[in-house]
Amino acid sequence: MRVVLLTGKGGVGKTTMSAATAIGAAAHGHRVFLLSTDPAHSVGDALGRPVGARPVEVAPSVVAQEVAVLDEIERSWSEIQDWLRGLLREGADELVAEEILVFPGLEELVALRAIREVEALGEFDVCVVDCAPTGSTLRMLRFPDALAVFMGGVFDLERRAARALKPILETVGLRGLVPGDEVFAAFERLVSDVDDVRQILLDGDRTTARLVTNAARVVVDETRRSFAYLSLYGVATDAVLVNRLLPSAAQGGFFARWAAREHEELAALEAGFGVPLLRAELRAGEPIGVEALAALAREVYGARDPAAILQRGRPLRWRRVGATTRLEIDLPHVSKEEVEVAARGEDLHLRVRDARRAIALPASLVGRSVQSARLERDVLVVTFA
Amino acid sequence: MRLVFYTGKGGVGKTTTAAATAAHAAARGHRTLVVSADPAHSLGDVLGVAVGGEAGRPTEVAPRLAALEVDARATLDPHWGRIRDYLVELFRHQGIEGVVADELALLPGAEEIAALLAVEEAARSRRYDVCVVDCAPTGSTLRLVTLPEVASRALRLLLRVQRAVATVVSPVARVVVPVPLPGPEVFRDVDQLLYERLAKLRELLLGDATSVRIVVTPERMVIDEALRAHTDLALFELGCDAVVMNRLFPPAAAAEAFFEGWSRWQEERLAEVEASFAPLPVLRASLADDEVIGVEALAAHGARTFGDADPAARLCAAPRLRFGRGKGEYRVELPLPHARKDALDVAKVDDALVVRTGNRRRAIPLPRKLAAATLVGAKLDAGTLVVRLAPAASGAR
Repeated sequence: MRVVLLTGKGGVGKTTMSAATAIGAAAHGHRVFLLSTDPAHSVGDALGRPVGARPVEVAPSVVAQEVAVLDEIERSWSEIQDWLRGLLREGADELVAEEILVFPGLEELVALRAIREVEALGEFDVCVVDCAPTGSTLRMLRFPDALAVFMGGVFDLERRAARALKPILETVGLRGLVPGDEVFAAFERLVSDVDDVRQILLDGDRTTARLVTNAARVVVDETRRSFAYLSLYGVATDAVLVNRLLPSAAQGGFFARWAAREHEELAALEAGFGVPLLRAELRAGEPIGVEALAALAREVYGARDPAAILQRGRPLRWRRVGATTRLEIDLPHVSKEEVEVAARGEDLHLRVRDARRAIALPASLVGRSVQSARLERDVLVVTFA
Repeated sequence: MRLVFYTGKGGVGKTTTAAATAAHAAARGHRTLVVSADPAHSLGDVLGVAVGGEAGRPTEVAPRLAALEVDARATLDPHWGRIRDYLVELFRHQGIEGVVADELALLPGAEEIAALLAVEEAARSRRYDVCVVDCAPTGSTLRLVTLPEVASRALRLLLRVQRAVATVVSPVARVVVPVPLPGPEVFRDVDQLLYERLAKLRELLLGDATSVRIVVTPERMVIDEALRAHTDLALFELGCDAVVMNRLFPPAAAAEAFFEGWSRWQEERLAEVEASFAPLPVLRASLADDEVIGVEALAAHGARTFGDADPAARLCAAPRLRFGRGKGEYRVELPLPHARKDALDVAKVDDALVVRTGNRRRAIPLPRKLAAATLVGAKLDAGTLVVRLAPAASGAR
């Protein structure tokens, strides 16, 4: 199943574009699932009809769903929550347990698990995902790394410790502190879920991200950063969708300067990303309903199939050059000072601005130090000694 | 130090409004700091200069104006130092190297804590008259401003539990499982973070010098979310002092043929907002004729938005939580604008009053005198929740 993720800065029109992409894909003969993972759901508003936590057919060959994130967390975390509540009950303060249980990034992850469920149905060719704004989406991407390490190390340890400590704690009346096996099992399920989601997100043969933007400086700046971050985490971006361009009838008078700025930003966008730049004009009213969205899809995608991979690429790749292996990452609009690279143990540690990632080194490179890391035409090239 | 938070739905122009407020305040003579607490920072983009901050230090961007995009890791490092060291050791023990501790800084609430610590540091430094905070979209803002309350309760409990474990269990545990357990210095750090900093923050947030401004655009969905935010903020006693209506079309824009009709529905939304949020003043920020970027353009935009009003002033004194005494009973009055009776629930749990509106709950600690009282009744009276409590039967002992 093809997966198309749409993300972008708040307010650029992600949801409208997601809905249009879904309806456009259906017009190309695909069976489409439209999934909203943004906790502030608005797919229903774009479609002009209610959409809820249960999948509902919203157009021929298009089924939509808004993931009820809190219910999902409750469903999959109840054992862990019960344990934490028990821990805190000492102070009769259950509210706190609920508050601290929602890790940043967890919400998005739990929501993205729904992709797997859609796939399991086997009834859809493409899943279009209306993601949360960029900040949250990025958090979600780095969360699996942190969690995997955390679980892999600490959790095994905890489980061993828990077994050993249980009898002792029982004698001093602190038995509730030790998580039971059901808690560990719940954690393990979470880890494997996270891993599944990660597999889907990083599979460039079926998953791509599309960045929705407007032709305003501040929005374009954020789009550039998002593009680099997605690359860093290995998610391929296959198009940039520029929404709400002033139509020619509205480019004069009061809006003349806005129009001039748009031209500038569009030129920068075109030069910048190496992926197709698709456009949609501002409409007199928000495009609401299936027909308006189908028209919008035609405007944005033209003759293209919205479900196709519009640009094939692997933003993060290991390449053999002669006898050596090197790492290449597409990082447009990133300057040298914003990147840090170091090999430590089995991992390569990377920092791009405030995003960090540890990438597992191929076995042949473990223990080697970084020989050079340089930016060559928007590509970070790391070679090893 | 005056503290002003800006919140609102994603994309309404929070960052521009916050930066414009700060630039205008600085131009009017206030020593001003503007802080971005949104992990997807765009403050630097709006100011037109990099304000990433070396080691969490604000960057001077104009006379009397400093700006900072909070980096959770850089800010937390000095505070979490020893706690982190302990975790690193614990991980190393398991053969896991450094990066984990860094990643931990990304776990629950770290970004919010970092932003709050930056604000508290600014207050303590006495270097600023005003601090303007550009928050992440609505939900996160609430997490940010309620964090000191939630975190201090959570930490206090965890601390107690941890201490019990460390003193009772650790001597035995060290033999049974060879795992480094936290030493007393780790607890001291948690203590310090907890009692000193969080307590101060809570005081700062609930004080009269702090207020929240909600940014909206003339769109129904945006306004609906703003109304919910207003109720939630009131539940946690965070006073709002203004609503900013952003991107209103000035007459010259409305006169363009393509936008015919836009100003009419914009006026409708504006009237709705004014009615719903009264008595809060609604400031009108007109769409400029170009993207507002750079300190100068921001200051001008701020001047247009605030008119004669001082952007640093408290623009409206919103009523707060009040404990009172009626005949033979106590009264707790909590203003909850836009709250709906059917979505409201009140209970007394131990020495706290638990109030739920929609999907938010708060345990309001009661003064000692009221702690033992029993709940008699509660009603919603013109946007104020009035709870009646009967004193515990005196002399029963």
